[in-house]
Amino acid sequence: MGTDIKSEHIDIGGSNVLLVSVKGGRGVFGTCSVGHNMRRGDLTALNKVFYIGTDPVISLNCPNNGDKRTDRILSMCASYEGMAADIHTVMTDTLNRINRGDSLENGMRDLFMLLSDGVYTVYTSEYYPTDGNGTFFWGAYNIPHEVHGTAQYNRTIGKDKPYRPCFLLPGNTLDIYTTKKRATSDEAVKSRKYQGIVYHLAGLHSVLLKGHHGAVSCVAADIPFRCAVIEKLSDPYTVPFAVPMAAPAPEAEEPKEGEAAPVENAEPAPAAVAATEPHEGVTGFRSASVKVPIELMPKEMLRILIENRREAKPAHYANLVQKLNQVRRKTLSNNTIPRNIHEKCELMPDCEMIESAFAVESLSEPQLAALLSGDTEYEGKVIISPNFYSSIVTACNYLQFHDETRFVDFAISIMDNPELYATHEYIAKRIARLSNKKVYNFFKAALVNDEGRYEKILETADRYVKDYDVRH
Amino acid sequence: MAFCDLKPVRIFDEDSGCTFVIGDVFAVYTFGTDRPVVYEWGMMEEVIEERRTLIFKTGESVYKLPKKCFSVREDYFRAIAIIESSRRESDFSYTHENRVLPTKDQYIEFDYSKDAYIGESVIDENDTAAAFIMLMNVKLVKLLWLIAILIMLAVFALLHLFIGVTRDNILYFIPISVAVGGIITLIVYLVCHAVARSKYQKMSGTDPAADEIITFAVCQYGFAACESCIADNQEVVPWKMVDYFIETDKIYIFYKDTKAVVYMPKKAFEKKYHGGISDLISLHLEQK
Repeated sequence: MGTDIKSEHIDIGGSNVLLVSVKGGRGVFGTCSVGHNMRRGDLTALNKVFYIGTDPVISLNCPNNGDKRTDRILSMCASYEGMAADIHTVMTDTLNRINRGDSLENGMRDLFMLLSDGVYTVYTSEYYPTDGNGTFFWGAYNIPHEVHGTAQYNRTIGKDKPYRPCFLLPGNTLDIYTTKKRATSDEAVKSRKYQGIVYHLAGLHSVLLKGHHGAVSCVAADIPFRCAVIEKLSDPYTVPFAVPMAAPAPEAEEPKEGEAAPVENAEPAPAAVAATEPHEGVTGFRSASVKVPIELMPKEMLRILIENRREAKPAHYANLVQKLNQVRRKTLSNNTIPRNIHEKCELMPDCEMIESAFAVESLSEPQLAALLSGDTEYEGKVIISPNFYSSIVTACNYLQFHDETRFVDFAISIMDNPELYATHEYIAKRIARLSNKKVYNFFKAALVNDEGRYEKILETADRYVKDYDVRH
Repeated sequence: MAFCDLKPVRIFDEDSGCTFVIGDVFAVYTFGTDRPVVYEWGMMEEVIEERRTLIFKTGESVYKLPKKCFSVREDYFRAIAIIESSRRESDFSYTHENRVLPTKDQYIEFDYSKDAYIGESVIDENDTAAAFIMLMNVKLVKLLWLIAILIMLAVFALLHLFIGVTRDNILYFIPISVAVGGIITLIVYLVCHAVARSKYQKMSGTDPAADEIITFAVCQYGFAACESCIADNQEVVPWKMVDYFIETDKIYIFYKDTKAVVYMPKKAFEKKYHGGISDLISLHLEQK
């Protein structure tokens, strides 16, 4: 049976969304469950694997029976030696085609044929080539560890808000990194529109299928790492009907500018939601970044969506499971990413900043003042969260992502407030990531202050001041 | 989720004109519509499996899907497996007919294909009924003796009351009392046998799986007993889901809260493995 690929652009609240359905797909890459694992004497850890071809690539350990709110423990599979040549060729051709000017639906057609059956949304977005914790993504997952931001439902963002994944996992091993290829990609990235192709894996993280050297070059040259993103549309969502049909629909939100800013998303505007009739069942289906109401979904795509399972096991499943427990023959590569790349990655937005940026729509000065005075509400509305300390932390991360000046002022105000003593250490560590004269002056003053109010930040302040003095 | 790989089932009900899709979601194309109403399993209030119908109750609607609409038997088992495994995550109320196999919500996903005893067999009615009777014998043996003695004494007392025991007739009365006690006890015993057999027949009659080939598996993490048409050796019922087991010469019976969860015929496995299987089960469960 041949592979049937259909694509359609639909308009959701002013945003153009490209949907692609795959029927009879080859299922060359995707995620599938590989069962429970014995951990701490019970069977509560559900294991999943991201595979490419017949190779398990990334192991996802999902604690608490795969609880959707729990972060995953991720690692590169020990048996993985690299992408098969034929699959790599398809990826390379696809990236070249979309960079030559082909549309996403046409240029990526060969790649879509490698997907498993289902409906996908395809868009472009800017990625930070880190693991979401300031480490360059390539080589960051050799040891299994809990990766913040990989839960399906992010606790800070909430269950209902869509978000743009923006952190990476490698789809290839560090073995393939060579300075020769790097030199080629250093030139190539300057003229490329799309630097890579990614497949959404979990939470804020996606797997980079193509563009590993490009990621290194982009970080080195401070070029945004813009990728073509494939996300599977599979989770149903429900918007409770609240507005009576007779009531006027609320005004539509102003269309947001640009596509790349991660705080923007393709969520239906409130008017679009309110305009739909109250109906039984789910409102639509969603991926991480987009919510598609059932009414707007093409009929054939809807049929493919409900008549396929979220995670199908590939035909070579037994082979995949067998390889999971193997260890590759090759020793781990001695390739290293240049130090300046790691240093630049440390300064990139991390997972906590991105979460806060998606969780909070805006923060006005009066709202910040209310938070500083110990209130979690402003004009009768909860500003961020009923939890005061959570509100302070989220506000800081939000400001750090959006506005450095306001962040510095807000953070210093917090650390000057002895009543917010519990947050001082965290805020000091966040602010210490900036190279800023105002922060330097504050930390210097804190070091000479002998009242004991800055006790928790002295270590961070000392390190910051010494480092700043060396650099400047 | 266990059984996550089973393909969704699409069923058309000619009487109502509705098409049902049972998969990751429950969808209904009502007559004359081209877009379905889609429910998450978490939205389901109750699913009832009756002898002839599957009933799906959501907050607002009740959908009835006659079992006769499943033209292929495998579709039915797939649908039931998807519903039951979805229940593990969504926890809706589920009422079902008597079962000879564990419901699918008790399974977890676990690849046991390498280190397990795996076999296939139908659950033989005679073997299971014999096991029922044997168990009943164990329970009834003291009671039957008691019944026999009581009836003997009662008959002897009645004879004494109405006829009067003398030296001449006592030699006749004692054998008469013993015979009456024995005959009545035998009748009680036969009635109990019939009840035990009909009890199993009643249970197996309501579960189509009783006529199916079942794949049985026993491994160190648990066991499995699943219709072969949907089994893929990737799901297991952990040992903690059952309390104890009973072994007869032909069958293993696993119990939870004094209720039989599964009847696992020994003939499903090669004879040389029986000892190993018994040892493995005994390591995890108490034998009664």
